[in-house]
Amino acid sequence: MGWAALLAAILCGAAQADDQWLRVGFARDSPVLLVSFSLGPTTARVRGMSMALDLHASLALRNTGSKTISGLTLRVEAQDLTPSGRGSVTVPSLSVQPGEVFPVRIDMELLRPFSVAKSEGALVQVSLDCALFNDLSAYGPDSLGSRRALTVYELEARRDRRYLATLLQTKRLAQLREELNFGLPDFSPQQLGLELLHEPRAISRREQPVNVGAVSFPSSPVQTMSGAARVAGNEVRGPQIDVRNTSQKIVSSIDMGWIVRDDRGRDFVAGSVPTRMQLGPVQTATMSEPGTLRFSRPTGQPMVIDALMAFVSDVEFADGKLWIPSRTDIDEATNDPMLRRALGTSPEQQRLAEIYRRKGITGLAEELHRLN
Amino acid sequence: MTLAELHNAVHPRLETLALYVTGDLPWRLRWRTGVHLKYCAGCEQQVLLFRSARMEFKHEAETQTLTAFEAIVDWTRLEREMLGNIAVGLAAARCIEKVGRTRALFSKGAFATALLALFIAGWATHIPKEQTAHLTSSLRSLFGLERAQATGTVLQTTQDGIAVRAQGATLTIMHPRSAVVSVSGASAVEARYVDEETGQVTITNVYGQ
Repeated sequence: MGWAALLAAILCGAAQADDQWLRVGFARDSPVLLVSFSLGPTTARVRGMSMALDLHASLALRNTGSKTISGLTLRVEAQDLTPSGRGSVTVPSLSVQPGEVFPVRIDMELLRPFSVAKSEGALVQVSLDCALFNDLSAYGPDSLGSRRALTVYELEARRDRRYLATLLQTKRLAQLREELNFGLPDFSPQQLGLELLHEPRAISRREQPVNVGAVSFPSSPVQTMSGAARVAGNEVRGPQIDVRNTSQKIVSSIDMGWIVRDDRGRDFVAGSVPTRMQLGPVQTATMSEPGTLRFSRPTGQPMVIDALMAFVSDVEFADGKLWIPSRTDIDEATNDPMLRRALGTSPEQQRLAEIYRRKGITGLAEELHRLN
Repeated sequence: MTLAELHNAVHPRLETLALYVTGDLPWRLRWRTGVHLKYCAGCEQQVLLFRSARMEFKHEAETQTLTAFEAIVDWTRLEREMLGNIAVGLAAARCIEKVGRTRALFSKGAFATALLALFIAGWATHIPKEQTAHLTSSLRSLFGLERAQATGTVLQTTQDGIAVRAQGATLTIMHPRSAVVSVSGASAVEARYVDEETGQVTITNVYGQ
């Protein structure tokens, strides 16, 4: 009864002031400013010993700068989780001209215990972390490493637009359709359940040491050599891999990608982890992850790990330039078409496939012409 | 007509005279009957007969009572019988009391079991699994069955979103079921999808420290 009364009181308060739930703020010199903000149907309900708040925000932002915006990342911070946890929403593959308005949607749920008292200010705050321009310069505090990620997305977008435009120009339409999934929605996208744990865990008897295989891109400036990890059922613990800088430049960070193979022999790109390290030419180093990764199928059933592979996803040099694998690198890295597709699917290719599905080859050609 | 002639004209009934003897008449009737008896020799004779019979009955009754008491000569046996009867009565009372207590205990136990079952069912259906696990872990730590672990930040995916859980609260950034989920850092998980409304590729991330 007390909770219901509390909830009712909170909902009454919510009706009076939406900004108590969510506040959107940008610095005065920000290249994007808020034009409008609407909080959709916000609901609050009791779940166990906590209150669950559903927040659906629609933002309309204007490019108030003088450069075209290629992508941006908004930081989402909940006062109950600060400083341990936070979130972000990134919109890459944009081409927002100065003065243009573009939408960003944020759908989230905040689960907060009743025992936590609400302090001053909004429960959730949204702010700009980084905006990337088409000349690859950036604006923003970049507290989440967004600039690097946005730059990689932009480089991949340019690579894939060029590749698809070439296929279109050279009339290789069959290959183009295959690249864009024949205009069909992806009925079986790679679905993984993930849990990333950083709590200390005791060594289990079931734990088995496994070698980490390598998927190599021929033009990569950093090559993987050998690696090891401990696997216990559906958990991968402490993976590490030795790498060598085969370029003539100093490397400042390496984004190492990880592929897991389940007990049915299917490969999944589990993701990639960027690590900052100074690595001179010909130097070697060991990259390791201290945490535990727990995998499950979308149904929640544990996914037994059979093998683990690593690949160099991208490399940042000390001069600020970035290397990403070319389409040729991806084609030559593996014979498995499914894995090749997973390695090569960039956010931009995903967006262009959606345009092809909705508007056909003409719509795709117009979009490529507009952006190239 | 003289007063004597008046009183002789109407004689009290026999029941009235009998009640006069035992003193059970109302005071007014008793006075009138007494006045009548002063002037009526016949009624006075009847009253004397009643008194004599009453005395005889009383004497007879006293004689019979004494005879009955005189018959009881074995007082020890009588005491044993009385004590035995008392003991049987007390035992029966205790027996009845025990049956009632067992019944009460049984019904209270059944009620408590039903309440417990309702509580467990309610807990299982309403309390999230992670909160149950957290509570179990806390209780095990409290009783020394488990070594207390450092409370860390957990990143996890669900079918509807990616979540970061820290300091007892959870922030979930929602995504459609078609989203591709992957690890994006040592303490970050991302989900990637095309927003159906805006047509934009959207990448959501949650981070832990």
